[in-house]
Amino acid sequence: MTAVMAMESVPVDTWHERVHQVKQRGFGFFDFLTAVDRNSFVEVVVHLVREDLSDSYLISTMLSNENLHIDSIETLFPGAGWHEREVGEMFGVKFEGNDMQKLLRHETLGLPPLRKNIVLSARVVTEWPGAAEPEIKQDGRKVGNPSRRRQRPPGAPESWLQQ
Amino acid sequence: MIHSFIALLPDKCTSCMLCVRECPAWCIHLDSHTEEVTDAGARRPKKINVLDSFDIDYSLCMYCGICVDVCPFDALEWDQHRALISDSRADLTLGITQLTSENDSAN
Amino acid sequence: MTRYQLAEHPTIEVEVITAGLACCTLEVEAAATAGLLLPVSGEQISPAPSILVISGTVTDALLPAVLAQIDRFPEARLMSFGACATSGGPYWDSPPVTKGIDQFADVAVYVAGCPPRPDAFVAALLDLAHSGVAP
Ligand code: SF4
Ligand code: SF4
Repeated sequence: MTAVMAMESVPVDTWHERVHQVKQRGFGFFDFLTAVDRNSFVEVVVHLVREDLSDSYLISTMLSNENLHIDSIETLFPGAGWHEREVGEMFGVKFEGNDMQKLLRHETLGLPPLRKNIVLSARVVTEWPGAAEPEIKQDGRKVGNPSRRRQRPPGAPESWLQQ
Repeated sequence: MIHSFIALLPDKCTSCMLCVRECPAWCIHLDSHTEEVTDAGARRPKKINVLDSFDIDYSLCMYCGICVDVCPFDALEWDQHRALISDSRADLTLGITQLTSENDSAN
Repeated sequence: MTRYQLAEHPTIEVEVITAGLACCTLEVEAAATAGLLLPVSGEQISPAPSILVISGTVTDALLPAVLAQIDRFPEARLMSFGACATSGGPYWDSPPVTKGIDQFADVAVYVAGCPPRPDAFVAALLDLAHSGVAP
């Protein structure tokens, strides 16, 4: 779509101001706002595009896990409010100035599901059928298992299985 | 193509476990053992995997076709002749016989 | 509400109230489009349904509403239509999804598929009809 994409990481306290400046420089089309879980912090990203689609700008900021608060940019781009609510629901980020109404999830549900520390318990308690290995049997007698690397179920990191 | 059923060709299956490990629903269960056979004229025996059981739980299967795609030996194939209905959920898990025999009769 | 008769068995009529839970529900319309269900006009005949079709993903949040419908029609028998209703299906590992409606209510017939084909829907209706429940 766009030819060039500038990228910039900014401190969280200048987030609103920087997005505003970039908007003023002609990047007036709000494309998306999302977040990435980097384990020790959450990265919030916004992608702005020039109205003639010739150029775009990606601004990101890092939020520490202890303080997942950031200024809302809903006043700059009304469409961003919806994206912020989704990021709030899925990553637990609180956007100051946004009413943060739930979009999809039931209010009684627990932790934000897209954080990497959320364990899918079904993948831990269910026995993975792929762990089985063909046994060696001679004359119907089991003599051992082929020594292969222990297989781990897909989508279940080692740290889950230890818990 | 109507996708309604995945059939097993057990003679082609080498128990390599690829389909079992790739299935996103974890609904294939396979049991096998290794036997040594000596081909006529061969000097040393070779090891082959012998399939003991192969079950697909169709109450869980999402018909994604990943198992059909990953099988390096074309031992799984789409089959369009059945609608699986039962009054017991356990009946929806089919073993080698059911996965193959109906396939024969349908063709 | 739409009333249909089974193309193969015109004596069996179904009235469909669409309150779909997920994509499986579309198979009822697919059956109608494919000519397996024929629309019939006329007055409503059944005061209470004899079959309830649970078609689609039941989430824990929605479960009380689904169970309330099941309780409203104690005579009705349940059809668990598709992998989600039967076991959670593709969402078997998802925390908010109920892994099988049969944990909470007796199921008369399970239909495998993701989604099951329209002819499986008709076959399951016939199966229930032949086991003594006329839809
Ligand atoms: S079609 Fe998909 S879900 Fe079904 S058995 Fe194959 S891999 Fe598993
Ligand atoms: S991938 Fe094919 S050969 Fe390997 S175990 Fe599955 S069916 Fe058998």
